[in-house]
Amino acid sequence: MAITLLLSPFLSQAEIKNVTTVNVKISGSCNICEEGIEAAAFQKNISQANWDDKTQIASVSYDSKRTSLDAILKKVALAGFDNESYLAPDDAYAKLAGCCRYKRTDKDASVVQKPAHGHQHGTDMTGNSKAETESSDPLKPLLDAYYSIKDALVNSDGNAAAASAAHLVKAIKAVQMTALGNEQHMVWMKVMKDLDFDADHISETKDVGHQRDHFSSLSENMYKLIKAGKPSQAVYYQHCPMAKEGIGANWLSQVAAIKNPYYGAQMLNCGKTTEMIK
Amino acid sequence: MDFCKIPGIRAVYPVLILLFIAQTGFGQKIVRYDLYVKDTIVNFTGTDKRAIAVNGQIPMPTLTFTEGDTAEIYVHNQLNEETSLHWHGLFLPNKYDGVPNLTQMPIKPHTTHLYRFAIIQNGTHWYHSHTGLQEQIGMYGSMILNKKKEPDIPTVPIVLSEWTDMNPGNVHRLLHNASDWFAIKKGTTQSYSEAIKQGYFKTKLANEWKRMTAMDVSDVYYDKFLINGKNESQLSQFKPGDKVRLRISNGGASTYFWLKYAGGKMTVVANDGNDVEPVEVDRLLIAVSETYDVIVTIPAVIPGAPSVAYEFLVTAEDRTKSASLYLGEGVKQLASPLPKLKYFEGMKMMNGMMKMDGNLDDMGMKMSLNQMDMNVVMYPEITGPAQGKKIKQTGKKVEAAGTDGMKMAHGKQDGESSHAGHNMYNSNALSSIVTLNYAMLKSPDNTSLPKDAPVKELRFVLTGNMNRYVWSMDNKVVSETDKILIKKGEIVRMVLYNNSMMRHPMHLHGHDFRVLNGQGENAPLKNVIDIMPMETDTLEFAATESGDWFFHCHILYHMMSGMGRVFSYENSPANPEIPNPRLAQRKLFADDREFHLMAENDFATNGNDGQAMLQNTRWSIGTEWRLGYNDHHGYETETHIGRYFGKMQWLMPFIGFDWRYRKMGMDEVETNLFGQKSTKDKRSVFSAGVSYTLPMLLVGQAEVFTDGNVRFQLERMDIPVSKRLRMGLMVNTDKEYMAALRYIFTRNAGITAHYDSDMGFGIGLTLNY
Repeated sequence: MAITLLLSPFLSQAEIKNVTTVNVKISGSCNICEEGIEAAAFQKNISQANWDDKTQIASVSYDSKRTSLDAILKKVALAGFDNESYLAPDDAYAKLAGCCRYKRTDKDASVVQKPAHGHQHGTDMTGNSKAETESSDPLKPLLDAYYSIKDALVNSDGNAAAASAAHLVKAIKAVQMTALGNEQHMVWMKVMKDLDFDADHISETKDVGHQRDHFSSLSENMYKLIKAGKPSQAVYYQHCPMAKEGIGANWLSQVAAIKNPYYGAQMLNCGKTTEMIK
Repeated sequence: MDFCKIPGIRAVYPVLILLFIAQTGFGQKIVRYDLYVKDTIVNFTGTDKRAIAVNGQIPMPTLTFTEGDTAEIYVHNQLNEETSLHWHGLFLPNKYDGVPNLTQMPIKPHTTHLYRFAIIQNGTHWYHSHTGLQEQIGMYGSMILNKKKEPDIPTVPIVLSEWTDMNPGNVHRLLHNASDWFAIKKGTTQSYSEAIKQGYFKTKLANEWKRMTAMDVSDVYYDKFLINGKNESQLSQFKPGDKVRLRISNGGASTYFWLKYAGGKMTVVANDGNDVEPVEVDRLLIAVSETYDVIVTIPAVIPGAPSVAYEFLVTAEDRTKSASLYLGEGVKQLASPLPKLKYFEGMKMMNGMMKMDGNLDDMGMKMSLNQMDMNVVMYPEITGPAQGKKIKQTGKKVEAAGTDGMKMAHGKQDGESSHAGHNMYNSNALSSIVTLNYAMLKSPDNTSLPKDAPVKELRFVLTGNMNRYVWSMDNKVVSETDKILIKKGEIVRMVLYNNSMMRHPMHLHGHDFRVLNGQGENAPLKNVIDIMPMETDTLEFAATESGDWFFHCHILYHMMSGMGRVFSYENSPANPEIPNPRLAQRKLFADDREFHLMAENDFATNGNDGQAMLQNTRWSIGTEWRLGYNDHHGYETETHIGRYFGKMQWLMPFIGFDWRYRKMGMDEVETNLFGQKSTKDKRSVFSAGVSYTLPMLLVGQAEVFTDGNVRFQLERMDIPVSKRLRMGLMVNTDKEYMAALRYIFTRNAGITAHYDSDMGFGIGLTLNY
């Protein structure tokens, strides 16, 4: 092991011409960092590095006619690793594996104003304030689970959508048919299977595109179901003509404001309310 | 020095003014610059290339004046070609505006020309050559007009630009010949194999069905991007805690730049030389020829800690490359680079917007002021990384099988009524990244125009098509239109709608216009406005000058293709710089009337196969040939002279001449599908016909020959199979057919394998120009 490690730089160095080798300090904390650093510094026949996680020193060899130490260190920093010439962008550092989040000594010295994060859009569920008022509505849990899928899709969050869809599957199973009105009961019998099918598929993938495909048919069935009865709170039936490559698609929302679940951030406010059910 | 260009009268003029100043006792200062324009050799990429330097430098020297000064700029043209200088964004007498053949005659080689005007405004401006494509190869520089009292803050003039090793004339020619070499260099071919791999096959099909070729946000591939002439540089004089004002001009010929700063937010304080209420942003896109003043802060450090330099990152809109300026000293904090564009997502969006007739459909979304940026679908930092679409496709199949009943519901749409309710879309609502748009610009002053002045309203549709690189307004180029007459004292209101597929930075000479952006009386003043596809913007300005003022797209290659108009004040005095207006006009029009040559020949084992074409905005003169190596294979040429019609230029009626010679067997006669006979042995006939571009970019051609024969043909060349592989197919009613595959090695060479019903199978080297 040690021998191959020692040998490997020499073996491959043979291909780098006009070779210059220097030792530089590159921040890192574990052997996952080593892969990241060495991959960032590697360019076939031009440059390579051998980083040691104990000393945090990399031996960098490069063809001095075709690149420079500066250029290599810039690439290493863009991969998330602070070094003596460059500090990594915050998001590159944030993407590093957990063990590799070394302590950023240089970085901590400066007092950078961070752009305000955490401004979560599309989740301002103003409808929630009156959420608990009428629990007598037998389809309330169904709608709530549906809305949370919708909100997850507005945020293009496949994980959250899958989790919410799993709730919906449970909610569908828990619906007490006897509590439904006559007309709604008829619709329920028709759409129940399809609702379950779509909810199931949304819960099984984290691919937002796939989830949105199912969400459009899920929404159509939800609309039929809700329209057949009288929801305890107003339900807004909304439409985006651009969704599904111009075919258009609908969804239900608890609020009148448009937050488009089919494009998420791309076209957040595209759409209009076509009907209010209450 | 040769002052023969300057008539004696004008030499006296400054003296008179000087006397006047001396008398009135104002502190008016004459600031003189001498600019020596000279050929030079530069090396940005490892290869020596020709460029133009002024006073030995690229960019040209920064010219600094203070409001109230009189500028005296002597331009010494040491080139062997004509030149001119335009003072971008400046209010000045028309004859000093610097548009050759419009406001002055070109500055002849080895002569000197004087520009002399009073500085009556302040702000960040720039200057550049308005002659040919000189702006591309170095003729751009900052022009800083200071207020009498500038705020006390360190200031850095910055001019952004781009460099290509290719001769710009060649760039222009390639653009007009629909070469996809730039796309290959950028990795944006968007071929079928790439589409299939990424799960966008249907998107690509729909795209070609709507007669669109690969989409991109910019036309030209550049080798380097430059900040003040350098790809990377550092200003280490700044210390932690310092605030620095960057006075940025985009001197790029065709590149929009994203501006980002690693040390936090940027405060935008001025645009196009006019102050705006400070607005904090994370990034902004500076359109070609715009200027912005931004203030950045070098973050403070804990006392005793080493200082850090912060990257000011300038990335080309197509995100192929970037340039960096580091502010401060010490280890360099990098800004996060912009991730690659998701082109197929853009293509998908474009498909949704493009109607079959080539017009764009905004689906009822009233877009303006860059607020709704359709391109965000391609920005991974806003809309998430590109997703593996394979899963999605299999998912679709499942859906199709399982939810047949749903199709009905999709079928009955809510119809057109639903289009009306779209809100305007502010891309800043989509992520925590704040991107500047025009609606956020607010003038600190009341900019409203006189209420009682008459208003002249003009409407323009920006038009163009990428396939033939024709860019126009209302489908007319400069040479096809008259000047637009305006009257001094009136208010000119322009409503611009962009019905083309590219964005256009529209620039008005000599005036600032108000952009009606919802800020009421505080509408910002600009002289360039970027209009994205499908956007509508309304501008207004007070007509207070005289003479002829150019209004054009500032993408150099669009301008040279004729995308512009001339506003002409009624009853203006004759311009002494234009002694022969008819000659000047003809020379001005020559720019967009220019013909562009392309030629290619395949030296194949079974013969030579090639074509040559001369084309301009409307006309096409082309010859195709197939030359065998023996009489049995034959020799054949077809020449067509045609004129393109319509905005999309799909239709081209033509007249032609065919000649062929072939030795077939005794009395062997070929018949076409209609039973018409032709020996082909010796044929020389005239023809008339029409060709039309069909969906999937198939070119259909119907032709009648003087010998009574009729021929219909379907052809599609350059089907992008993979990044560098192109397929060509042809079939016609003479029972001729051809299929070819070409692999592109370099800009000028490729290998072609083809089968031809006349000449059989062949493989050969294709050279193209």
